[in-house]
Amino acid sequence: MRIGVFVCHCGSNIAATVDCPSVAQAAKLFPDVVFASDTMYACSEPGQDAIIQAIKEHRLDGVVVASCSPRMHEPTFRRALERAGLNRYMLEMANIREHVSWIGKNKELNTVKATELVRIAAAKLRLNTPLYANQFDVTKRVLVIGGGVAGIQAALDCADAGIQVIMVERDTSIGGKMAKLDKTFPTVDCSSCILGPKMVDVAQHPNITLYAASEVEEISGYVGNFDVKVRRRATYVNWDACTGCGLCMEKCPSKKSYDAFNEGVAPTAAIGISFPQAIPKKASINAEFCMKLQKGKCGVCAKICPTKCIDFEQQDTIVSEKVGAIVAATGYDLFDWTVYNQYGGGRYPDVVTSLQYERMMNASGPTAGHIKRPSDGKEPKRVVFIQCVGSRDKAVDRPYCSGFCCMYTAKQAVLTKDHIPDSDSYVFYMDIRSPGKGYDEFTRRAQEQYGVQYVRGRVSMIYPKGDVLVVRGADTLAGTQVEVEADLVVLAVGIESSKGAPHLAEKLRISYDHYGFFMEAHPKLKPVETNTAGVYLAGCCQGPKDIPTSVGQGSAAAAKVLTLFAKDKLESDPQISRVNQNRCVGCLKCTMTCPFGAVKDVKDRAGNTKAEVVETVCQGCGICTVTCPHGAIQLQHFTDNQILAEVNALCQPEMEF
Amino acid sequence: MSARNGVLSDTRELRVVGFLCNWCSYGGADTAGVARFEQPTDLRIIRVPCSGRIDPLFIMRALVSGADGVLVSGCHPRDCHYAEGNYYARRRLELLKQFLPITGIDPQRFEYTWVSASEGARWQEVVTKFTNRIHELGPAPRMQGGSGYDELCLKQIEEGVKQGPACPCHKERAL
Amino acid sequence: MSTLEQLKEQIRKALPDLDVVIGWEQGYDAMHATPLFIRTEEDIDRLIWSPLCVHSLGTYLTGLTKTPNVRKVGLVVKGCDSRAIVQLTQERMIPRENIVLFGVGCTGCLSHARLEYKVEQGGHYVEDMHSITFNGDKVEVAVNGDVESFDFDTVCLEKCLTCRFPNAIATEHFAGEQVPVAPKCEKAPSLEAFEKLSLEERFAFWQDQMRRCVRCYACRNTCPMCVCRDHCISTSRNPHWVSQETSSAENFMFQMIHTMHLAGRCIECGECQRACPVDLPIMLFRRTMVHAMKDTFGYISGADPEATPPLLTFKVEEDNIKERGW
Repeated sequence: MRIGVFVCHCGSNIAATVDCPSVAQAAKLFPDVVFASDTMYACSEPGQDAIIQAIKEHRLDGVVVASCSPRMHEPTFRRALERAGLNRYMLEMANIREHVSWIGKNKELNTVKATELVRIAAAKLRLNTPLYANQFDVTKRVLVIGGGVAGIQAALDCADAGIQVIMVERDTSIGGKMAKLDKTFPTVDCSSCILGPKMVDVAQHPNITLYAASEVEEISGYVGNFDVKVRRRATYVNWDACTGCGLCMEKCPSKKSYDAFNEGVAPTAAIGISFPQAIPKKASINAEFCMKLQKGKCGVCAKICPTKCIDFEQQDTIVSEKVGAIVAATGYDLFDWTVYNQYGGGRYPDVVTSLQYERMMNASGPTAGHIKRPSDGKEPKRVVFIQCVGSRDKAVDRPYCSGFCCMYTAKQAVLTKDHIPDSDSYVFYMDIRSPGKGYDEFTRRAQEQYGVQYVRGRVSMIYPKGDVLVVRGADTLAGTQVEVEADLVVLAVGIESSKGAPHLAEKLRISYDHYGFFMEAHPKLKPVETNTAGVYLAGCCQGPKDIPTSVGQGSAAAAKVLTLFAKDKLESDPQISRVNQNRCVGCLKCTMTCPFGAVKDVKDRAGNTKAEVVETVCQGCGICTVTCPHGAIQLQHFTDNQILAEVNALCQPEMEF
Repeated sequence: MSARNGVLSDTRELRVVGFLCNWCSYGGADTAGVARFEQPTDLRIIRVPCSGRIDPLFIMRALVSGADGVLVSGCHPRDCHYAEGNYYARRRLELLKQFLPITGIDPQRFEYTWVSASEGARWQEVVTKFTNRIHELGPAPRMQGGSGYDELCLKQIEEGVKQGPACPCHKERAL
Repeated sequence: MSTLEQLKEQIRKALPDLDVVIGWEQGYDAMHATPLFIRTEEDIDRLIWSPLCVHSLGTYLTGLTKTPNVRKVGLVVKGCDSRAIVQLTQERMIPRENIVLFGVGCTGCLSHARLEYKVEQGGHYVEDMHSITFNGDKVEVAVNGDVESFDFDTVCLEKCLTCRFPNAIATEHFAGEQVPVAPKCEKAPSLEAFEKLSLEERFAFWQDQMRRCVRCYACRNTCPMCVCRDHCISTSRNPHWVSQETSSAENFMFQMIHTMHLAGRCIECGECQRACPVDLPIMLFRRTMVHAMKDTFGYISGADPEATPPLLTFKVEEDNIKERGW
């Protein structure tokens, strides 16, 4: 074999703490290395051209690039190899940036380490073989999990492009958090006026199948060919027959049911439609509060329903769908603010969350748009807003900024003035974060035009005094203590990952961070992709986002899906397991450990049992290779011999350079 | 230029081998790099697709061939990119950990852990802790000598004869 | 009727349906038995059953059941031998339906190594032993005109001291009485003694021992669980785990491969150590792994044909694996 080694300076990223020329010099002594050089930017166009030229000039049949992480530029250099006529798998990378130059300052030690990493890479490369991808069919249907604004956008974009969309929504209606909002910043236009038409589009689009009150039960398969099982929860109403007339809701005697859509601001009936614009506009029963389901007596709704669609015997059903790509848009949940004892810990009725306040201000909400104190129904004249409740607070394990609270607080303060012109609003804040188009102007307008009083400081406690609440805090700009007597306190509650998000991530086989937000493939360059091919992210499931960004990401995810589906065939990754049937003794232990069922048993010509790998199903994890005692099933590109070569290159008697 | 002889005696590196899964821990090590979290330089990382690909015998091979420490890291249980790889890895590695003492190889020289792609700071902590531990243990003893009556063996016999009866090579029968 | 007579009777009845039945016969001297391949009625007369019958005959099965013209095989098995069959069945390595087992209860087998050691300690030469009698708890050896008597426990195979499976399990036939389960100790005395050594002492011990290994692979070839046969990774280039160099380190590596491949499979028959021509105490490795399997996964290999070996499955929450604070 003729190996060429290219040591990248990455400007000063590597060269500042690694002696690149001497790494290249040392590499010349490694077995089979016939050419080595250092280069300023290996990934740049002249850098890649130099590699291609060296391949041709020195008749190289394998290349080691010592540069950044292979997770970054492996595809780049593989393409360069292909342009030079080599097989893309004849490349190995030594990660001398993330794993060397960026984590140590001792140049001498770094140079030794970099040299050894090149040595490992070259040792492995000697055993690389050309691998060739196979092609397989794509199911051009997409699953969108979550029907909030991000999911709706992704679904509509895909559907408009002619792709069949399956949308799964956990609640009984799509719309997500945006449907609960009264107005949106910074334009202060009606939320449901802009979201409503999109929701209707989803319902009416011939390419969209909507499963509301449903959850993803199981996902198997791989990019291009996922098998999805969806659990359709029992709603105790036959949705095919329900017309959404709402009669059942009026007559239901159980009026104390928790109203999740209205954030519990007022109770609702045990049966009903969550809100007037709901899509699908179908009734469902909240089993927890239904007298018939709990005690077996009542059944009023069944008696009065004009279409006889109430079915107390209804069970969950499972539907199976085949899709080629998945968009996760599962959104967020509000942080449970009651851990803050200083704000009353949930004991004071007149301390409400921003989303509850949103429902109070909404004309179609439980108070018909009149702001009333939950305790006595009076109109508040002094409203205090407290920001960063469950955001930027390490004490409650929420060190991140929720991003949009500064803006919605300003909006709510403005709207408060609109609703109650003789009211005063106070906002306790840490910093004002308003980096969007027209955002900063908006927060300024709240202060300057609407006279909202902004106090920079944290609130140390809230306590009741008569029928008002005393809010005591610091004004860090004035350097004084402040006390405000408030009729109503609104907490700008931060966001956290959606309930059950980690569980879904496990089903999707994608990563999630400590807080349960899904991990993107690259924080800057692959913001909607995940490390699992064919699974994309949109909206707050990936991290806090406002509406425009969520919509943008929904469209971005759709674009990725469409890119994937633009080809009729996908290429399979040839880094999969292969069975050497001469060595296989047919014990089939590999079939027991394979998580994908990718190994099946076949008979050879003599009738002996042998294992065989199903190429399109194998994902290339290599569990089988370790299971097989005789080394008959080998993961290509990570064979026993290749890893042993790496170990041996590293661990040998008194290694000297 | 040598990491093993006198020149760098103060900061003399030991041979620490890491087996990291591509999706979580290798990414975590990258994240640590991107964040410029400084770490001891001893560790050399071998990238594998999944911790389920790590044969305990790779670790044994490294330890037998002169590694002073071996660190394995994969995705947290439940987070495996391949759904189940780390569960198998956990069983295999735990057994190895329990087995090592009988061979006389210090089980402290081998550790397995779970680090996700987002946990750069945790990776820094793991590497630092493990490398420090290996430095406390010092270089691992190497299994020396050829087979049969080579020079070393004859020397041992000679010494054994001086001390008393029985050749050290045959001093014990099976029980 | 004695156990042997019963056994012969059972084999006689079954033989017409079987191509071969494997048992033991008297070997080249009074001390040794050797495997007997019964093909005809006359062969049955040579069958013996005594503490000399040490060989685990299951070793022949994986090869034999693939031999042309051999369809059904009979096998005489002790408790430990039958566990090998159970384990092989579990792993689908043998066509169990074509195998007929003749089980016996076993009160322990003779360790030639320990006996020879005792005899030599008594100032005699092994070569001069000319007869052996098993008499209850005693073993009497005629050597050079003298009769030496030893406690059976001091000259039996070490596995017999800890044996919890004296009676063959899952067999088609069973000859003689069931032997009571009465292990003499919980842990093998050699392992217990070895565990008292420091890590340094252990390492030095193995370095010393491993240099004596001649890599004859007798331990592998006699192991009933070593099913790879011609495809053992210790003697292959692809994958190439062990180099051809015969150093302590490489010999040790070979033993590690054998131990790891027996994890959750080893039924502690001890054949590897018995077959070792240089008496390497490799059962220390095997027993440690067996204990680890039992402690961590509560698993005893070769006890249940329906069980799944621990390394081929997992639990999301492991009962006995602590997620380290790492």
